[in-house]
This record gives sequence, C-alpha cells and structure tokens, in this order.
Amino acid sequence: MDRRKFLKNSALTSSLFFVPSFLKAFESVDTSRLGFKRLVVVQLAGGNDGLNTIIPYNNDIYYNARPRLAITNDIIRMTDDLGFHPSLAPLRSLYDNGELSILNNVGYPNPVRSHFRSMDIWQTASDSNTYLQSGWLGRYMDIYGKKPYNAIEMDEQLSLAMKGQYFNGIATNNYKVLYKTAKDPFFRNVLSHYNDTHLSEHNLGYLYQTMIEATSSAKYIFENTKVKSSQQEYPQNGFAKQLKNVAQFINSDLDTKVFYTSLGGFDTHANQQNKQARLLTQYAESISAFVKDLKQNNTFKDTLVLTFSEFGRRVKQNAANGTDHGAANNVFVIGENLKKAGFYNNLASLEHLDSNGDLKYEIDFRTVYATILSKWLDADDRIVLNQDFEKLNFI
Amino acid sequence: MKQEELQHLYHRAGFGWHPRNYKEISKDRKQVVDALFENSKSILPIQLDFSYLDGLNQDDLKKFPSVVKDIQKKNKKKILELNYEWLKKLIYSNTLLRERMTLFWANHFVCRERNPLFAQQYNNTLRHYAIGDFRVFVKAISKNAAMLRYLNGKQNRKRKPNENFARELMELFTLGEGHFTEKDIKESARAFTGYSHNFEGGFVFRKLHHDYGFKTFLGKTARFNGDDIIDEILSNKQCARFICQKIYRYFVNPKLNKTHIEAMTDVFFKDYNIENLMRFVLLSDWFYAEENIGSKIKSPVELLVGIANTVPVTFQRQRDLLVIQKLLGQMLLDPPNVAGWKGDKAWIDANTIMLRLKLPSVLLNNAVISLEEFGDFNDATRAGFLKNNKGKLPFKTLADWDTFLKEFNSVETENLHQVILQGSINKGTLAYLETLRKTSKRDYCIQLMSLPEYQMC
Repeated sequence: MDRRKFLKNSALTSSLFFVPSFLKAFESVDTSRLGFKRLVVVQLAGGNDGLNTIIPYNNDIYYNARPRLAITNDIIRMTDDLGFHPSLAPLRSLYDNGELSILNNVGYPNPVRSHFRSMDIWQTASDSNTYLQSGWLGRYMDIYGKKPYNAIEMDEQLSLAMKGQYFNGIATNNYKVLYKTAKDPFFRNVLSHYNDTHLSEHNLGYLYQTMIEATSSAKYIFENTKVKSSQQEYPQNGFAKQLKNVAQFINSDLDTKVFYTSLGGFDTHANQQNKQARLLTQYAESISAFVKDLKQNNTFKDTLVLTFSEFGRRVKQNAANGTDHGAANNVFVIGENLKKAGFYNNLASLEHLDSNGDLKYEIDFRTVYATILSKWLDADDRIVLNQDFEKLNFI
Repeated sequence: MKQEELQHLYHRAGFGWHPRNYKEISKDRKQVVDALFENSKSILPIQLDFSYLDGLNQDDLKKFPSVVKDIQKKNKKKILELNYEWLKKLIYSNTLLRERMTLFWANHFVCRERNPLFAQQYNNTLRHYAIGDFRVFVKAISKNAAMLRYLNGKQNRKRKPNENFARELMELFTLGEGHFTEKDIKESARAFTGYSHNFEGGFVFRKLHHDYGFKTFLGKTARFNGDDIIDEILSNKQCARFICQKIYRYFVNPKLNKTHIEAMTDVFFKDYNIENLMRFVLLSDWFYAEENIGSKIKSPVELLVGIANTVPVTFQRQRDLLVIQKLLGQMLLDPPNVAGWKGDKAWIDANTIMLRLKLPSVLLNNAVISLEEFGDFNDATRAGFLKNNKGKLPFKTLADWDTFLKEFNSVETENLHQVILQGSINKGTLAYLETLRKTSKRDYCIQLMSLPEYQMC
C-alpha cells in the first residue's frame, strides 16, 4: 500500500486550495450571531395524561371519574387544589425557586384526537382544519436562521416543527456518527471536485448544496462541541441522553437557537399507572439534571424549556385502567426569570366538559408560541404564525 | 429506440433501467410502450393471510375486550407485513407500469388505515384501477371502507353531515383549490350521506341516513347522490387538468409545462381513461426531451427499489426495511396527512442526504465506498473496517454481486455511469469519475450510487 501517497493526497484535498470558494464562504466564521437566548422544546409524544400529572386532588369529580386510576398517595401538594404526580418530585425545587410555570388547559378550537394530526397541528401551529407543510420553528428560522445547525433536533429525523419553507434544521441523535458519515473520504473527494456553474438552481444543485451544508454543519457541531464531559450526572435513559447532549451544545456555546427533544410512550390506553409513573420519572429526573448542568455552567439564565404533548386525555378512565385521547392539556415552561411562576391559571372545570368528555381549552397553544417568539426570541410572531395572537405574561 | 430514451422511460414507468431490457433497443417507441401496457394487463392483488379474523364479527369484539387486544396486536403486525409485501411487489413485479401507477395513486388518493384488511383492500383498489377508468376509480374510492373511515364518510349523516370527504374529494382528489366554494362542499357532503361499510369492508348504503333532498352543486340543482356529484365534478375540464398536472409533475418534470399539460388535458377529458393518457405521455416527443431526463429527485422508495433492481439484495430482517423507510421519511401505508408526501426537494434535508448517499454502500458493501486510486490500500481499509464494524452495521443484508456481474456483463465498467446515473453529471464530479481506476465493476457501482447524481431519476 502507498500510505505516503495517500497522506499527500488527503492533505491536498483538505487544503484550502482545493475547496471551492462558496464552500469557504460557508465555513468562514459568521460574526452576526443570533443572540444568546435559547429555546429547548420537549415533546411528550403519545398524549400525556395531564390530569394525573397535575392532580386536582381536592376534586370529587376527579376521583369519581377515575375510580381505579386517580392518584391518591404521595401527591406533592403545591396549592390547595393542585398537586404534582409523585414522580415529579425532582421538579419541586424548580417550582419553589420560581423557575417553573404551569399553564393549564392549553389546546385549540375543534380539537383533533388523532395523534398524527394533532401533533402536526402543534408542530405547524395551524388551525385544526388547515394543513401546513412547514413548522413554526422552521418558519422562525426561515427569517432568523442562517445555518442548519441554528436548530438541532436530537433525533434521526427532522420533525415538521423544524422545517421551514426554505430552512431545514439538523436532526441527529448522534452528532459523531453524522460527522463520521460526512467525513467519508469519497464524499470529501466528490465535494472537492464539485463545480458550481449552472447547477445550483436545479434539483441536482440543491442536492449538492444540501450535502455541503450537512458536511459543514456536522463539522461545525463536531469541532465546536467541547467533549469535556459534564460534571453533572444524568439518569440512564434515552431522553436524558438527548438533554445531556443539548446541555453539552449549549455549554459549548454552539450558535444554536432551538433544540428539539422528545420523550415517547404516553399513549396509555391500558394499565396507565406504572407506565406513566415511569415516564414522568424519566422526564422529571432528566430535566432536573439538565437544569443543574446548565446552572453550573451559567447558561440556565439564557435557556427556556417548553414541554408539551399533542393532547391530554379523557377525564373519565376507561375499562382497561387507562385513558383515551382527550383535548386540552397542561404545558410546562421552565426558565430563570419567569414573570409568572407556579400555576399560570386554574384548572378548567371538570364538570363542564366538551361533548366528548374532555377538558375545554382556555389558552390557545399558539398564544404560548407567540409569547415565546416575541418576548424570548425577539422575533415577529405575526410573520411566523401568520396570525396575530395575544401574548401571555409568563415571561 | 435510443438507449437514453429507453433508460428514461424505464426510470419513470418503472424503477430504473436494467440490461435485461437491452434487446428493446431494436424496437420502436410504440412497440416498447405497447409492451409495457401489455405486461401490466393482469391485476395481481396482495393477498395476506387473514385467517385470524375468521368467524369474528363486530359483536364478538364488543363482548370480549381481551379478543380485541389480541386482534389489535395481530393487526399491527399485519400492517408491517403488508408494507413488506408491497415493497416486494415494487421490486419484483412484472406488472411494472401498474405497480408504478399504484404507487402514484397512493399519494393522490391518500389514505391511512390501520386495519390491515381494509388497508390491503384499499391498496388493491388502487392497483385494480391504476391504469383504468378514472371515473369508476373515483367512485370506488368514495365507497371504500378505508377511505370512509379516514375522511369520516362513515360519520356523514343526514342529520349531521361531515364535510371532510367532500372537501378533500374536490381540493385534493379532483379539482384543486380555488375551483369550488364552501357551499359546494356543504351541498356535496349531503350527497354522500349514508355511505358506510360492513365488518369485512364491503360498501353499505344506509338509506335512513341519506339525504334525498335537492342539492345545488357547481351551479346545478338536483337530487344528487354521491356518484352524481363525481360525474358533475368530472364534467368540469379543470378536473382533467388537475390530474394531468399531477401526472406531469410525477412522471415528467416537477416543473410544469403549460402547453404539454393542456395537450394531456384534451386527451384525458375525452374519456378519463388513464391508459390513453399515459400512452399519450409516454409516446410524445417532449417526454424524452433533455430537460426532463434526470430532473426528478427519487423518493425514498424509488431509491430503495432502484438499488435492489440493480444489485439484488436480501434483507435478513424484515424490520430493517421499515427502519430505512422511516429514516428516509417515506413509510409506505403511513403518509403524513391527506395531502400526502410533498415529494421533490422536500425529501432532502441535511440528514436525509447523507443517509441516502451512504445507504448503497451500507446495504451492498459493508458501508465501504472504495477510493480506487489506491486499490491495495483500499482492500486493507476494507478488511480493517470490517473488523472494526463487526456486528455494528445497522442492517443485515446479503448483496448478490454475482448476479449483478452476470447481468451487467454487457456493460463495460468504464461506461457503467451511463446506465447507473440518469441525467447530467456535475462537471467536477465527472472529472473526478475520470480519475477513478475502475478496476472493479462492483466498486465503481458503489461509487456511482454514492453520488448526489444517483438521487436523480
């Protein structure tokens, strides 16, 4: 084998001499950063049962509707009416510090009870009868983003939420693997020969551009992520791993505005109790470790965490000790300087339900987005959401 | 027929060209297209084993919740099996054009059904009418159990009309946005009231729930029923135009050409015969114009089926095929919404492009893309890589390179790019390809499949 020749060649191809000019431009350091505020979205997929998460422990209707499913023991009582599921104990200190705001009865008009459709509605911020092909965070990035790594999803596949009309974020559950793939010498050789003339406006040109962006983003993320392992211990589960990576990116000061994470398995039609308890434990322990990690690195003050689920569940339990798809649900906002910490509003009536037996919504989820866009991300929410929504007062 | 025309035809009417079609070069265009239709004459439905449902009926399910759970489990598995069977059909079927068009219609009359019996029935309905009479096709769709469930046709009753199907029928299936009013939706929804289905998926018309009154639809007033509404829609030339636009985007070019589409519309509006329309397209000179060749980005399924067409590959674990579909963003039978997959550029983002580029080498060559200038070095790398990657590769596949070498024997290695890639090759990339040594046909095939150009068809 001719190692010397190989080394010579790889040294050449990586030298700037062989890199097309637009590639150089792309990789040059961008001085106009997006600002310091970051948003971390946590999606609880499957429809988390909000009533057994934030429990109306003094309400007879709750106990009557759920004879075998109501939580009776170890409720963490926060107010005279509402308490936390025992699994949420790790979040108590956040609540006490005024770093957690819980918005009750968040939903939208004419709720859809299909996972997919409702998730699309949450991710695209559409009305329940319109279909949008771009997500709210993607549209935000259409205007304010520059590089795919400005929005990172900790998954193999990019959610609709992170796709704009023009912008696509980066999805990777393992940035090292993405880097390794992109680093394949064959791809590197192809790109080093790539000739841009007359192609960029065609589909093939688009493919090359995307390949270049992916390669550059993978390189950017890999090279700028400090491997120094965090002092903070995280629980052993996939969701914690996602948050640990997010903390690593944030603490490495990557130029990323939006992070998207997801915890699935909340579709508890049967034998809900243990399943939900286990998931909420994963959620609360991971979030608690994440916040501690950020605090140790002084980055919590610039981070806002939004947790939602595509819908809540029916007030009445079903025959299989589970709950069926419902409508309005609670949303958690975690951050340092919350304007209204604790419970943002009261739980909706358990007596006056909609015709399906579900909680009626009081807060349109898009007012939550509008608030975050305008007050946290400093963006024009009306352009991103295509409508003028009221702003709330939690931040 | 010229080689490049043949290749183009087979990329669009099928999933890529193969040396076994070489002999057609001596035939003229009409003979080749005729043969495509002739070969697609037979209708070979998917028929999975549903014996676990034998003897069951609706009442049993209501009475025994434990049975329901068991059935649900089996149903879930069956849906995956159906996915697999469909993929197999796309790869191995002889009724090439019929399968190609079935795939097209599945992203037109979009439906997502989790009951595998109904899903299979729906899939077979698409296959049955794929190159037939569009009028009969739409009517069959309006009465299909899966569609009645998906767009709430079942819940559409005289006392409480549900407009979901009526809206999508016009907006997505026939006319397109802007060619009907909200009132047309409301009125036509009434015409479809009473549509339902039985436990086996057969159509049932519930007279008591049907609204027999007068409806005013697209300017006409009559006691329309559902079929009448579809006839009224089809009497509007916009319906033919809308379908032709979609056919053009899918089979010809994502960039529309008004003149060609009008010519297609004239043909289709005459009798709404899909075969006549497709013959017109595949026989026209403009179909083979340079601007159309290699202008489309392959869908994930096109990519996967194309790879398997060139190099036969066995998946040792069925679920790997599902994982690939999921990773690339197109799981058959699981469309994102009633509008279907957007297609074209929407398939590609930073993540999917790298996956797509890496996929052929992962499936066929243990993830190695050769760097042929250094043949011996490369072999050493491969050996080292295999050692390092032992058991770590994401998919378990067996590539049949012997068959590939046999079948591609007639293609010189240095000309391989001409049959593996469609359309123009980037200048720089072409220059790079010239520097490659091409000592191994297998290595060169992998290299070509790992180019952005391979994503085009």
